[in-house]
Amino acid sequence: MFPNSTQCKYWMFTSEDELNKLRENANTKHIQMYGRHVNDAHKFDIFLTPDEERLMVRKYELNLRDFCKKFQPPMLRCVVGTAFHYFKRFYIHNSVMNYHPKEIMVTCVFLACKVEEFNVSMTQFLTNIKGDREKASDIILNNELLLMQQLSFHLAIHNPFRPVEGLLIDIKTRCTLNDPERLRPGTEHFLERALLTDAILLYAPSQVALAAVLHAASKLQENLDSYVTDTLFGVEGRGKLEELIEAVRSIRSMVKMADSVIDKNQLKLLEKKLEKCRNPENNPDSEIYKQRMQAMLYDDDEVYSQISSDHQNRDNSALNMSITSPGA
Amino acid sequence: MNQYTVLGRIGEGAHGYVMKGVNKFTGTEVALKKLIIKNLDEGIPVNVMREIASLQVLNSDYIVKLLNIIPHGMGFVLVMEYLPSSLYDVLRDTDNPLNEAQIKCYMKMLLFGVKYMHENHIMHRDLKPANLLIAQDGTLKIADFGLARIYVKNEPNRQYSHQVATRWYRAPELLYGSHNYTTAVDMWAVGCIMSELYNKTPLFPGETDIEQLAIVLHTLGTPNEESWPGLAKLPDYNKITFSYSSGLSWNAIVPDIADESLDLIKNFLLYNHCKRLNAREALNHAYFFIKPLACSLTEMLKPDSIKPCEMPKFEEFDLI
Repeated sequence: MFPNSTQCKYWMFTSEDELNKLRENANTKHIQMYGRHVNDAHKFDIFLTPDEERLMVRKYELNLRDFCKKFQPPMLRCVVGTAFHYFKRFYIHNSVMNYHPKEIMVTCVFLACKVEEFNVSMTQFLTNIKGDREKASDIILNNELLLMQQLSFHLAIHNPFRPVEGLLIDIKTRCTLNDPERLRPGTEHFLERALLTDAILLYAPSQVALAAVLHAASKLQENLDSYVTDTLFGVEGRGKLEELIEAVRSIRSMVKMADSVIDKNQLKLLEKKLEKCRNPENNPDSEIYKQRMQAMLYDDDEVYSQISSDHQNRDNSALNMSITSPGA
Repeated sequence: MNQYTVLGRIGEGAHGYVMKGVNKFTGTEVALKKLIIKNLDEGIPVNVMREIASLQVLNSDYIVKLLNIIPHGMGFVLVMEYLPSSLYDVLRDTDNPLNEAQIKCYMKMLLFGVKYMHENHIMHRDLKPANLLIAQDGTLKIADFGLARIYVKNEPNRQYSHQVATRWYRAPELLYGSHNYTTAVDMWAVGCIMSELYNKTPLFPGETDIEQLAIVLHTLGTPNEESWPGLAKLPDYNKITFSYSSGLSWNAIVPDIADESLDLIKNFLLYNHCKRLNAREALNHAYFFIKPLACSLTEMLKPDSIKPCEMPKFEEFDLI
């Protein structure tokens, strides 16, 4: 149920302004941390501005969409939706200069496959990636835990796809609209674009779903207004109607904006700028990164052996406890 | 991790070990489930993702609570409610035999937990006495969501990495390799657990998957298309045949119990999963409305008085 989900409790925001402030904050914090030696007046010659960061995120959201579209075996829609949520959540609190969006993007898809039970092995997953697959596998595995942490381990995602199915069933049973299945292509097209916007961070999945269905209807010159006001909401829901109309209007206008094209030359320049200013500590090609990964592996072994030897000593001690759950 | 003092190891699971700890600031006892990533090729195991994702949405008195997740080295630690005992211990503690009212109380708590879980679109798939833990006040709580699935849809079989521990409670459609089963697999397990509460011994203790099926079929009788529609289409149905059995009499399967109790068990242990009672229906069964009624929590066993018991050898080898 959405109302008691972690998505509703922790990952719903009040406005685009709030989101942009959080993103700006991530940008400022990054520059403060890594740009101490840079004169304030010139900091954006080196570092990306908040707007530039947003453009990069947008670029990689388009890549995410295309990657999922081409993925073999064909991917379930909920995997795509979940990967989008992860990617967006990650860059609310992190700068693209700290973690490269290309690397986070594939990790998001990998994690989404697992959580949505779209069972592909790492080997299968990698056949969808061009270039150095071993490196790609390292990047994904090294980032998986980081991603989960940045998501505060909130893994379950409510996508708008199921509410759409519910609405279509309801329309078929309680509305006089002729052949409601006609709404499907328009609805799906709308949802695909909605994933590229902040709408999924601001509105409940059922609201996004309703906006999609209403949009599809209006494209077909059909009107579902009386279905929404009289049937779906009825007398008890009257009080909420105004809020909902505003939400639908706002979602539709955000999705309209998703179609704007980004300047390819500008993107090329930004890629170069990012390559120069990205944090070497998190760049898999840098020496410092390789050393850190080695250290972490070593460190973990150390911690583990320490804990195990502690156990040996404790096990037969005064604790006198037995194993209570073999499958735990 | 600094928030907790580790007191000792309490268990070993498929993906790590479980330690008892205490919160330094509040004094609350917790179970610390440390994940060790052994299969470096596939990253963090799907089971762990499942457990996290299901427990985060479940908030019921009859389901164990996930209190916190703490990153630790290359993995992390799940901080869970600490529950000192399990139904496994209760069943094997011969000094404290359960009376009818206590059995009903356990069944009620189990069914409340299962009902809540199923209403939230989660099937557990690994219900067994060892996964039903007992809190300080005697409350039964469902634990170990490592095999839990969020959405009811087709299931590739390969995820069953440690079916060993669960075999006795596995529904027959799973034993025949079904890929599209439902929440009714949990209801079969509930039926097995209920029988065990009365018999004090597992109902279908198969040593191998084949023997498991043989015992079930021998006890309940050879199924046919009438008692089990779709049987012949199950993936492994044609791979093996067993000698014909007309089934044992129910009085021999679960002897010396009231008619209502037997009726409830029968309606859990149906071959046809569509006809098996769901948790809500079971809670409305006459069983819960005839005397003796389920007792209150105050009359239930407390962990301090339950004698802990060692696991049988094969269950300790949790295959990975």
